[in-house]
Amino acid sequence: MSPSALDELIEALRCLPGVGPRSAHRMAYHLLQRDQPGAGRLARALERALAALRHCERCNTFSEETVCRRCSDPQRDAALLCVVEMPADLAMIEQTHAYSGLYYVLMGRLSPLDGMGPRELRLDKLLARATDGRVREVILATNFTNEGEATAHMISELLVPRGLKVSRLSRGVPVGGELEHTDSGTIAQALVERRSL
Amino acid sequence: MSIRQRIEQQPSFVLHSYPWRETSLIVEMLSRDHGRVAMVAKGARRPMSALRGVLMAFQPLRVDWSGGGEVKTLVRAEWQGGQPLLQGRALLCGYYLNELLVRLSAREDPHPALFEAYAAALAELARARSPSPVLRRFELALLRELGYGIGLDVDADSGEPVDAGAHYLYIIEKGPVAAGADAADARAVSGRTLLDMARGEFERAETLQQSRDLLRRLIHHYLGGQPLESRRVLKEFQEL
Repeated sequence: MSPSALDELIEALRCLPGVGPRSAHRMAYHLLQRDQPGAGRLARALERALAALRHCERCNTFSEETVCRRCSDPQRDAALLCVVEMPADLAMIEQTHAYSGLYYVLMGRLSPLDGMGPRELRLDKLLARATDGRVREVILATNFTNEGEATAHMISELLVPRGLKVSRLSRGVPVGGELEHTDSGTIAQALVERRSL
Repeated sequence: MSIRQRIEQQPSFVLHSYPWRETSLIVEMLSRDHGRVAMVAKGARRPMSALRGVLMAFQPLRVDWSGGGEVKTLVRAEWQGGQPLLQGRALLCGYYLNELLVRLSAREDPHPALFEAYAAALAELARARSPSPVLRRFELALLRELGYGIGLDVDADSGEPVDAGAHYLYIIEKGPVAAGADAADARAVSGRTLLDMARGEFERAETLQQSRDLLRRLIHHYLGGQPLESRRVLKEFQEL
């Protein structure tokens, strides 16, 4: 193998998030030296995914069909739409078995200083999805970071005037959590957002 | 500067942060006594990192760092509390303030008065109903602190005090001059507006509107004509 092919592989691996030059070297040597079948599988899987996957027309997550299986499941409550930042967030909510509505995956979050605005987030697509006439409530489950909050704010400003009920995931002391071991920022916000019983 | 120094318990705010290497973060911090400082927060992106909930923008922190290069190493960051999280529109305004600071202030150029103006603006944003006066006050404080010498209460041509009843044209890098026959010019501002601005009073409707246009022109000029991302985002949002 010519060194340039190796360099190219290392350089290509660096496109992964959190992979610097050192990790890219380690991965490349591992794939070539220790796990050639694994490397072949990875190459084929990447190629297949690139060719087959697209964004589901309704929830925007990756899907092989135009409309993904979750979105075409008649058991799901089409009146509820939960908005999350990434597919990993969707997976976490699914794990709870506490939600039977549908989803919309933004594939990102608002971040003005990085140039991520409503246009980059394709909020027009979410607007069209949420106003399909069947959705009654939109649950904003973006992260509790400043970016997640800003995203939730923009979406609510967009949807409330269109007559939709918009709710936000609540936040506070975790289940089974003790105040003694909870960080002060969380406790402070839990106090601000306390609810009457 | 190659002297390794250690700074302790420095009042600071996170302005912006972005991922660095596998698990770290580069944080642009606004500190009270050292101005804007970039530092690496090692391991801050690990799932269980204690820094995760602390290195949030718009929250008062106390920070320790060390190092003599351009990018320091964050040693410790403590959340100070006492300020509710920014929400909704105030949050979008906060991003605007941060972008102004990142784009206009130089690294390690200390401006304690600018730090105080920023802290006061955030505290007001967290409480106030209308963000506009807060933004105008901060924009003006920023330009003045950075040394752009924004003259407001003296006619730059005649040297006479600005007359509340007259109209003025604001010449960038020079100051207000009597508008005379150009009083109907869309860019003319009233003397009353200039005097309000000089006193930091932005509650009057005309002052608010004219000072917004004037400060926008000044900021655009000192940014070298480069547009602000946070303003574009806000505009796109309003058009949706």
